[in-house]
Amino acid sequence: MLEVRDLCRELGAMRNRVLDEVALEIRAGEFVSITGFSGSGKSTLLYLLGALDRPSSGIVKLDGIDISLLDDDARATLRNEKLGFVFQFHFLLPEFNVLENVMIPMLRRGKRSRSECQRRASEVLESVGLGELLARRPHQLSGGQQQRASIARAVANDPRIVLADEPTGNLDSKSGLAVMQVFEHLVRAQGLTVVMVTHERTFAARTSRQLEMQDGRIIADIDQRDD
Amino acid sequence: MSRIVVFIALRQLWDRKLLNGIAVLGVALGVLVLIAINGIMQGFQVKFLDNILRISPHVTIFDKQLRPEASILTRYEDTFVAAKVAHESPSDRQLRIARPTEIVRAAEQMSGVQAAAASLVGSAVLVLGSKQYPVDLRGIDPAKQDQVTPLSAYLVEGSYRTFSAASDGIILGSGVASRLGANLGDVIVCGSGTGDRLNLKVVGFFDAGIPPVDNSRVYVKLRNAQVLLGKPDVVGRIELRLADTDSAPRVSDSVERMFGYDAESWQETNSNFLGIFAMQNTIISFVVGAILAVGGFGILAIQIMIVLQKTRDIAILRSVGFHRNDILVGFLLQGAIIALVGAAIGDLVGHYVVLALSHLKTHQEGLVKSEYFLVRDDPRFYWYGAAFALTVGLIASMIPALRGSRVEPVDVLRGQLG
Repeated sequence: MLEVRDLCRELGAMRNRVLDEVALEIRAGEFVSITGFSGSGKSTLLYLLGALDRPSSGIVKLDGIDISLLDDDARATLRNEKLGFVFQFHFLLPEFNVLENVMIPMLRRGKRSRSECQRRASEVLESVGLGELLARRPHQLSGGQQQRASIARAVANDPRIVLADEPTGNLDSKSGLAVMQVFEHLVRAQGLTVVMVTHERTFAARTSRQLEMQDGRIIADIDQRDD
Repeated sequence: MSRIVVFIALRQLWDRKLLNGIAVLGVALGVLVLIAINGIMQGFQVKFLDNILRISPHVTIFDKQLRPEASILTRYEDTFVAAKVAHESPSDRQLRIARPTEIVRAAEQMSGVQAAAASLVGSAVLVLGSKQYPVDLRGIDPAKQDQVTPLSAYLVEGSYRTFSAASDGIILGSGVASRLGANLGDVIVCGSGTGDRLNLKVVGFFDAGIPPVDNSRVYVKLRNAQVLLGKPDVVGRIELRLADTDSAPRVSDSVERMFGYDAESWQETNSNFLGIFAMQNTIISFVVGAILAVGGFGILAIQIMIVLQKTRDIAILRSVGFHRNDILVGFLLQGAIIALVGAAIGDLVGHYVVLALSHLKTHQEGLVKSEYFLVRDDPRFYWYGAAFALTVGLIASMIPALRGSRVEPVDVLRGQLG
């Protein structure tokens, strides 16, 4: 589903090579974790997979389309329709309540009517355990709840793949575990594909496939399902 | 424009009520000033021009020939003897319009000319008892003159019919009458330096609402003026009334060409006032423009601040699939809404200010006489206000909107995550 070949990314005036000829293939339904030290290129890889950034060279193909060749608007549309993001910080819009935050990407897509969006959003929020808190503003939620709302937003618009950048990095272990369980549930119950960058080895160990990066290269790729 | 962009823009505006409210007030103030100042200025100008145009002829033909006949000495000799006669006495060349009746008739046939009337203008002194008062004497043909400058409409006392019928009637401006202490039926001695004295009977008072005119002008019959000024059979002016007042300069030009006498449109006659008005309007435009620009800077400053604060939110919207244009339109929309809400408030308050001013009792007696403060409530000003505000709002929010639309989500994410 997602295919990466010879992917390089150089950053800054010094043309620092953050990613060095990375090759990777992710299949539908996988729960992939990427670990590695700071600066190993995890986040950079994730942004490139998510069409948030353009590679210096190489190819990122999603469903057979090379997304690195798309222009700005086309990449935005692609993010809206095929990708879901969860970041370390919740990144919910403060002016909108939880339900509206989840609805916004769907409304932008315009595939569903407003009432359908509303139904879908509350359904997804229910499934991540926030069914009671739809009308709350983000600042009225705990860190774990905020992060689960972000997951709901990422999932509600039926993405092909969810990209998570240290989703538990800012949470205590209990809330982090709850977030992990939400991901696991979505992968198992709905066949969602998730790529998660994380620092935490215990969470990485729970995923179906574990990548490890160092100096811009993937140095380990352990697929548990192959075993 | 997608509905979600409108929805987000409205919510973001509403969520910063205080800041955006300040921007709205800035715009409202500009629009309010635009309406109030224009109302006051136009109120005065329109009233003044209105009065001027009713009591003054639209085109006046003067007794000055544009191609004067050669001096008598040069005419006498076939060969050139003298081109210039020094110290020629003015009486040697009496100024007059030759064949006035024909010119009046010809002028009346011109297209756009409604009426024409011959008259003679001069200075005279009125004496009533022990009081003397110098006046601007107008000798007119009552019936014709009333068609050119509807004098009968301004008569506050007496009767125009009596004036037309009587051979020795005089109509006084209201200011002249009060200065002389004259009443209807009084007999006034009237004289000038050059002609005979006449005893004239006061048959009416007029009030044109223009103090300079009301305080100086009197009307007598043309024949009496000619006797008083010692200019028998002389016509000094022919005045025209036009269907379209704006055509006066054009008519004036063709009259000059046709009859060979100097002619002047009302615009020329009042060019000093029109010049002042034009200057006033320019100054007002600058002032109002400056105030609206300040309102625009208000929007600019507040929106730039909001865009800087919202960089993270813009990055979120971009990462979930919003295009650059969505962000641009969203901020422009906010600027437009601030401008339009400000314009609506400015229009509403401006309307009440104009209304309140128009009920303000004043006694003004300068160029225009009025019991109330003169303001003009022209619906166009409200549209101008709204249009100006919208333009200013859109221009002002263009910079923040462009800035917002250039936010790269990945830059924000890298910054946040270290």
